[in-house]
Amino acid sequence: MHRVKVVFGHLSPPNTFKSHSDPIVSGAECRALSASPDDIVVVHGLRTAFGKAKKGSFKDTTPDELLSCVMTAVLVDVGLSPERLGDICVGNVLQPGAGALMARVAHFLSEFPETVPVYTVNRMCSSGLQALFNIAGAIRSGSYDMGLACGVESMSLRDAGEPGDVSSRLMDFEKARDCVIPMGITSENVAERFGVSREKQDAFAFSSQQKASQAQKQGIFDQEICPVTTKFVDEDGSERTVTVTKDDGIRPSTTLAGLTKLRGAFKPDGSTTAGNSSQVSDGAAAVLVGRRSVVESLSLPVLGVLKASAVVGVPPDVMGIGPAYAIPAALRQAGLTVADIDVFEINEAFASQAVYCVEKLGIAMEKVNPNGGAIALGHPLGCTGARQVVTLLNELKRRGRRAYGVVSMCIGTGMGAAAVFEYPGP
Amino acid sequence: MKTFKFPARHGYAVEISPFIPTRLACATSQYYGIAGCGTLLVLEQTETGISLVKSFDWNDGLFDVTWSESNEHILLTGGGDGSLQVWDTANPLPGPLQVLKEHTQEVYSVDWSQTREENLVVSGSWDRTAKVWDLNRGGQSLCTLQGHEGVIYSTVWSPHIPGCFASASGDGTLRVWDVKTGRCRLAIPAHKAEILSCDWCKYDQNVIVTGAVDCSLCVWDLRNVRQPLSRLLGHSYAIRRVKFSPFNQTVLASCSYDFTVRLWDYSRTEQPLLETLEHHSEFVCGLDFNLQIPNQVVDCSWDETVKIYTPLCLAAPLPSAQ
Repeated sequence: MHRVKVVFGHLSPPNTFKSHSDPIVSGAECRALSASPDDIVVVHGLRTAFGKAKKGSFKDTTPDELLSCVMTAVLVDVGLSPERLGDICVGNVLQPGAGALMARVAHFLSEFPETVPVYTVNRMCSSGLQALFNIAGAIRSGSYDMGLACGVESMSLRDAGEPGDVSSRLMDFEKARDCVIPMGITSENVAERFGVSREKQDAFAFSSQQKASQAQKQGIFDQEICPVTTKFVDEDGSERTVTVTKDDGIRPSTTLAGLTKLRGAFKPDGSTTAGNSSQVSDGAAAVLVGRRSVVESLSLPVLGVLKASAVVGVPPDVMGIGPAYAIPAALRQAGLTVADIDVFEINEAFASQAVYCVEKLGIAMEKVNPNGGAIALGHPLGCTGARQVVTLLNELKRRGRRAYGVVSMCIGTGMGAAAVFEYPGP
Repeated sequence: MKTFKFPARHGYAVEISPFIPTRLACATSQYYGIAGCGTLLVLEQTETGISLVKSFDWNDGLFDVTWSESNEHILLTGGGDGSLQVWDTANPLPGPLQVLKEHTQEVYSVDWSQTREENLVVSGSWDRTAKVWDLNRGGQSLCTLQGHEGVIYSTVWSPHIPGCFASASGDGTLRVWDVKTGRCRLAIPAHKAEILSCDWCKYDQNVIVTGAVDCSLCVWDLRNVRQPLSRLLGHSYAIRRVKFSPFNQTVLASCSYDFTVRLWDYSRTEQPLLETLEHHSEFVCGLDFNLQIPNQVVDCSWDETVKIYTPLCLAAPLPSAQ
């Protein structure tokens, strides 16, 4: 009696409509094209310049200082009182316990009121984006209306490599064992298994450097970077105060020939080199997120609309392929295709995996990281996701017309994350 | 008003022949389409009324009908058993010429493309898929389009863009498909309710109308679907079918579970509802404009009748929009 049910459905009051939901394709698909008061929107975002770890601009700066600087600047720019924030989530990877203490210290360095809470999240290289997902999720569930999603990492002061306490039995489980493979080796695995040549990797790395230097020269990053005034200890031990406004990892002088000469960094005959991998860096970023109805009622601008968010798992030994799986999942949610996206910010953990994902998804190379990526700018682990959101939305805004963009990255231990944003137009 | 009564059958869809302006077909079902058989009625409009030319029976309810665009004798229906039936009025035998069986649930819509070189047909089913068929090329579908999360109620070819059709679904979305790539080009969350019908404007390739269970009609410009161009309110129950006028860019007709047929001019911001016709005593499910007799409308209802008439609002010249 299915037909009776269907016809009765046509006669039922309109408010009983339930949108169909399939575990993979959520109701988000139906939201792809319309503005709703419940939309999760990005109001504003900023980042610090990125400094090369251990020798760059922030080698002597603690992460709470970097974080405090962006947190404050984002709210000051839009004139929002911190009391309006329902929560602050900070992506961090290397601090003990993902820097829960460091984040609260940053909060007070910013002179935010104690009544506003703060917490940290660690999903490795996607932590900055995960922070945004967490804030978005809590807004969507009605816990609060506005929140700050941040990411910060000092790779000068902390090293990756301390695995924590894991069972010795991990050796008995192939996938668990694969989780401790060094990231560089997972890059070699991707290059070997999927046939990404050294030439392609170097060409991609060269292009990243070129695009980033061009963007820096044209001042494209100026609108997204908030200056940080900090101390810097010179080689002779003398301390001075500097104001940092430029990424110091970008190398306009990089040549393809120079990249070709570099040796494998992780394996003697490997194709992953220091030149075609992401740089080890320090930096922070913050993104103000809110429910559209509240954002509009406060007369705040809408820089972007979060259309979809997805995190998926992939084999740990080729973790770099994460975006090739996360991006389709997010696009499916948004009801969009690769062709609908104007700009992809895909984190360049390694050229090998970035090239693989771009080719696998059939993305036109000119849509990928138009202002360069982590190979040139650096990859402060917990910060990267938030930085990509800031860079993406500023780029879409610069282009000046309504468009969609994607942020994605691979995640150590075998995952990928992706988000789809809409720039609603000027 | 001309009326044709067909006892023990309930009208689901009606369409006027693109070749013979007085010829029409009506897809009907026994027992309100809940169970039992279906009958395809081929009717002729005469000076004084409507007469039966031929009828074809099928062993499940028939929910939609479309005329061939290449052969005046050929019709296609969609049935409750998930099959499509090809009928030939010139064939003396009682059965269908061909039966296309791929859908796994009720076929609720069929539409014959106006691209003359090809005999493309699109069907929409409660199995949530739309299928495209080339009747020149045997009994297998060319492609199956998946994406809707609810049953499909309506599939209509664009009269302007080759290989493009729109579908309306119980999932609350209107989708626009490109048959060449087999992909959904646009998914519009058009209503927060089941959408039972859609139709393309005959004069503007970007304009489409949807009719839904929320009692509203929405007119969309596909270039900007943030909000509808117009939202037409007036029906008191779900809108079962909507059609754009072939003669006036902004006029459309809708029929509803509220037993009425309404005519609208969506360009009028003050009073878009032009007329309400209350000549049926049951759900009105089928509706069509005559392509060759200006402003003539035909409808069919669960009250076992087909009616042909010219709405007063269209008979007189339209008052200019506000």
